[in-house]
Amino acid sequence: MSFMSRPTLGLARFAARPASLIQARSLTIPFVKTIPQPPGYIVGNVNDAYVSPASSKLHGSRHWTFERFIGVGLVPLTVSPFVFGSISPVTDSILSVLLLLHSYTGFQSCIIDYIPARVYGKLHDYAMWLLSFGSGVSLYGIYLMESNDIGLTSIFMKLWY
Amino acid sequence: MFKQSLVLSRQFTRSLATAANAKPSLVKSFKIYRWSPDTPEVKPKLVSYDIDLNDCGPMVLDALLKIKNEQDSTLTFRRSCREGICGSCAMNIGGRNTLACLCRIDRDTSKDLKIYPLPHMFVVRDLVPDLTHFYKQYKSIEPYLQREQEIPDDGKENLQSIADRKKLDGLYECILCACCSTSCPSYWWNQQEYLGPAVLMQAFRWLIDSRDQASAKRKEILQNSMSLYRCHTILNCTRTCPKGLNPGRAIAEIKKQLAFD
Repeated sequence: MSFMSRPTLGLARFAARPASLIQARSLTIPFVKTIPQPPGYIVGNVNDAYVSPASSKLHGSRHWTFERFIGVGLVPLTVSPFVFGSISPVTDSILSVLLLLHSYTGFQSCIIDYIPARVYGKLHDYAMWLLSFGSGVSLYGIYLMESNDIGLTSIFMKLWY
Repeated sequence: MFKQSLVLSRQFTRSLATAANAKPSLVKSFKIYRWSPDTPEVKPKLVSYDIDLNDCGPMVLDALLKIKNEQDSTLTFRRSCREGICGSCAMNIGGRNTLACLCRIDRDTSKDLKIYPLPHMFVVRDLVPDLTHFYKQYKSIEPYLQREQEIPDDGKENLQSIADRKKLDGLYECILCACCSTSCPSYWWNQQEYLGPAVLMQAFRWLIDSRDQASAKRKEILQNSMSLYRCHTILNCTRTCPKGLNPGRAIAEIKKQLAFD
């Protein structure tokens, strides 16, 4: 009996209350209802291998490569107005849209990190929709800025001149 | 003659022992995280233990063993090889994840040394974290050689060039102590789905093994937003690795391999 109650047998501890689920309080957003997680984060048997989420290249490697292309593309576009003084409206539009995409994927990563569907369920989707909506509004703003106004780089330059 | 020398040597050892004892005491205080599942209502606390460093081995593990032997036998921690090859005594020492057996005690007695279990893991007791999920993740990458033809043509071994073998250096030495994974903020937030640096480095070790033929399958399980791509190149893993390995680079290499997949 003393063997059974050995504290180091943590697994026996979990087995003793299989239905109980834990709440990671310190890591969650306050006042928001979260989905309880399995004890020890163990899904299934302790000897089962962890099962990764469904495979999707669009969410995996292609998303990552897309992010890299945006990042690399932004370097010459950001440097060029400093070098040439001003850039054409078309280049300026491309720069603005790439900046928007860059921040979109960045915030997307933040949402996946801090509002994961695993813990927040539908709230994760709402956050994503909110981000998409905001980005859509920003895209329209870029359109207005480029067509009716003087463009992003010129507005930025006005901070100094 | 023989008797005489025996007496002499005895005297000699005794004098040496006295010399060691004559060293002035150098007392350092160790603050150690304590929590027992027997009393779950009692919150975890730091308990202070004073140790004379001149009467103790040089490593933190020596101090822990000394505390367990002489002061508090209920102090619980994992240890095995005491030479950095088993990875059992991984813990957070002075704010850094490392192996207690490879970590020298700072002889500055004005500062105390705080010892915690590996961060953001479920604690089984005192300094013992629950690594079940970590091992389940390791199991999921199938860390063994997989070939279409199980037995090679010569019936003996799967040959590998010296250059191909060299690619495994810096990867196979990993002892799975979980220091890197538990130092990674991304692993703290999403350890249920993100594999973490230790496991990903082993995934890479099997991806670049010239003898392994299951690369397609190995890449497939990483193709989602969680398993691999929660790595944001924070590089705490590389900074903390007690074996001096570079899990951050291994993850970057996996991303490169997958880039145009």
